[in-house]
Amino acid sequence: MATATTEIPVSPHPRTEEIPSTRREYPGALVVVEGTDGSGKSTQLYLLKRWLEISGYRIHFTEWNSSPLVKSATRRGKQRRLLTPTTFSLLHAADFADRCERQILPLLHGGYLVLADRYIYTAFARDSARGCSPHWLRNLYSFAPIPDITFYFRAPLDVAVNRIVAGRPKLKYYEAGMDMGLSLDRAESFRIFQERILNSYDQMVDTDDFVLMDGTMRVNKLQKLMRDLVAKRINLAQFAPKKK
Amino acid sequence: MKRSSKSTASNGLSNGHPAKKQASNGKNGGSPLPSRFYGSPLPGIKPEELSGSLIVVEGTDGSGRSTQISLLTEWLESEGFAVETMGLRRSFLVGEDIDALLAENSVTRMTLALMYGTDFFDQLERRILPALRSGLIVLADRYIFTLIARAAVRGIGRDYLHGIYEIALRPDLTFWLNVRPEVAFDREFKKSQTISYWESGRDMSLSNDLFQSFIRYQSMIKREFEYLSKRHGFIELDGEGSVSEVNRVLRTRIASHLGIRRTQYKPSHALAHLWR
Repeated sequence: MATATTEIPVSPHPRTEEIPSTRREYPGALVVVEGTDGSGKSTQLYLLKRWLEISGYRIHFTEWNSSPLVKSATRRGKQRRLLTPTTFSLLHAADFADRCERQILPLLHGGYLVLADRYIYTAFARDSARGCSPHWLRNLYSFAPIPDITFYFRAPLDVAVNRIVAGRPKLKYYEAGMDMGLSLDRAESFRIFQERILNSYDQMVDTDDFVLMDGTMRVNKLQKLMRDLVAKRINLAQFAPKKK
Repeated sequence: MKRSSKSTASNGLSNGHPAKKQASNGKNGGSPLPSRFYGSPLPGIKPEELSGSLIVVEGTDGSGRSTQISLLTEWLESEGFAVETMGLRRSFLVGEDIDALLAENSVTRMTLALMYGTDFFDQLERRILPALRSGLIVLADRYIFTLIARAAVRGIGRDYLHGIYEIALRPDLTFWLNVRPEVAFDREFKKSQTISYWESGRDMSLSNDLFQSFIRYQSMIKREFEYLSKRHGFIELDGEGSVSEVNRVLRTRIASHLGIRRTQYKPSHALAHLWR
């Protein structure tokens, strides 16, 4: 007897609006850069931002993991090493939800061009490298608006790892992926972790329509490619300063 | 074991709840349950290692939930079972952060839902799973169902919510202490002389009249629970019955699940005031 398989109507309250909703029903646009640490993405997004800013376009810049909301919890969790892959992921999702609902979505609805340094793909790559199920992660972030363009800056593993290790006195515990027990050596653990993340990004090139950018190219050449593509794919005129 | 061969739907928490298994010879039969998790288990967890039992008591504020948990804890301990409890906002990681967010009232529903999720999994992974591995009885003062119901009435998709909690552990028994919103109102008001902002759903702008707001909000929550009850096979109890009567029914069901013969219980002096 199968009470277990009885289909129950999904919506007892038809009036409630169902989120997640990723329908593009706003006048704004969203441009995202993704890639491993040391791939040059932040530099490129900064240059893109300067170009748009100087021309007076209505833009807003947002970063991954920047809200004060979960700062105390993240600090507590990291200091005492309490975070599991699941709570690490949920905490960052809560943080992103706050930014999404109070910043990104209102700006998109208000007709802004939003530039994001890292987006949900960072969570997909990093958290799946930690062992979270990709299917679970996709659902978790399904409330996020889909970007108009996602630039993926790809640098060979050695280049990226060397850029980071050279610039930092000490790799942090979670940053190096030490929680996964990959290696007792931080630099080695970091390398293995970054390799997993890189593989995970590579898999998303097709599924998530990434624009692949060669992180080893010269900075000004890359920036030209980036500006050309933005100008081609996004109707910049609608973000131009409003005339009185 | 009667179990549907239908595979788990893509978005989580299939039904096929094992609530009826207490009709058999109790637990510790040696073989692990076929489905201790709704979907894929939490990363790094081996379900067969979990020898304890997870018993959930759900119900709105004023349903007598916490009273029953206190009494059940005493009864189980007197029977020689070690008990661990869990509840909302009790995690070390974010429990206090959620309190702070609730006090501010500026948090959005999605953030709040995910903070509650973090709170839940922090307790589950760091406290509850180790307890279950050691064979303890875990009494949960609310579980994922309250979290799903609260978020769903605020417009967050049910499939989305079930997707988040599909990696949670499936309870061995889930009791629902069902009370009418009016009765819950009376009890809560008597207890604290006021009605809380969140328990009356004031963030949802249902009514400026607190009583109306409370009743409408609790009715919405109750409808969600009716749906969840069918989907997950809750054992529904009349929460309006006397404490001793509700407790007797709970003890009978739990005893049969654990394979305990004796269900006699009289609260100690310390808890006698709860026995009405």
